[in-house]
Amino acid sequence: MDEDEAQKQRLKAAVHYTVGRLCQDIAADCEKQITKQTIAAIAETAFRQCDVFAKDLEAFARHAKRHTVTVDDVKLTARRTTALYNYIQQKSEELALNNQELKKEKRKKNAAKRKSKDMEAEGENELED
Amino acid sequence: MANAGNEVVFKKETVAKLLTRSFKEDKTKVSSDAGDAVAEMLKVFVEEATRRAVKQADSEDCDTVDIEHFEKILPQLLLDF
Repeated sequence: MDEDEAQKQRLKAAVHYTVGRLCQDIAADCEKQITKQTIAAIAETAFRQCDVFAKDLEAFARHAKRHTVTVDDVKLTARRTTALYNYIQQKSEELALNNQELKKEKRKKNAAKRKSKDMEAEGENELED
Repeated sequence: MANAGNEVVFKKETVAKLLTRSFKEDKTKVSSDAGDAVAEMLKVFVEEATRRAVKQADSEDCDTVDIEHFEKILPQLLLDF
């Protein structure tokens, strides 16, 4: 149980760190100060909201008779506010495009690597002749 | 917002761990794309919380966003998510 508690504290700290940076950026953008207490409260709320998300996501995946949570499940959790739903819809499409492009680039790089290796091998053969 | 290069995001690893520790079944996993989407949801959540608190502080003519400003906007925030 202690290991579990330790992991929980580490996760909370990680969340707190990112939340802190986000809050400071936004506050600076709006030309306001924000107290540490407020940041801590937002971080704690975000941590708990994640638990709510997780339980919803698991329920949705289960309902669809799956063991793996997909992007469609995440979109469902955003159903309460239209603007949020549309935003997540748009973002997930962008992410999907990004991943496709990254995969293409990887394939190109690997193909290029193989080509250069083949050419090197050919070059050595020629020298030997 | 500012530079896209310096964008603050939730780490994929952190999000994955956060979700799996709350799952009731061991079998439940999260796809890579879903992890990214949840990270985005969390980021929006934090941004909304902060911006609404800032607005609240603004409406009360305060330069510093205090916890009471956050407390006032919290109920509606939770309902919207």
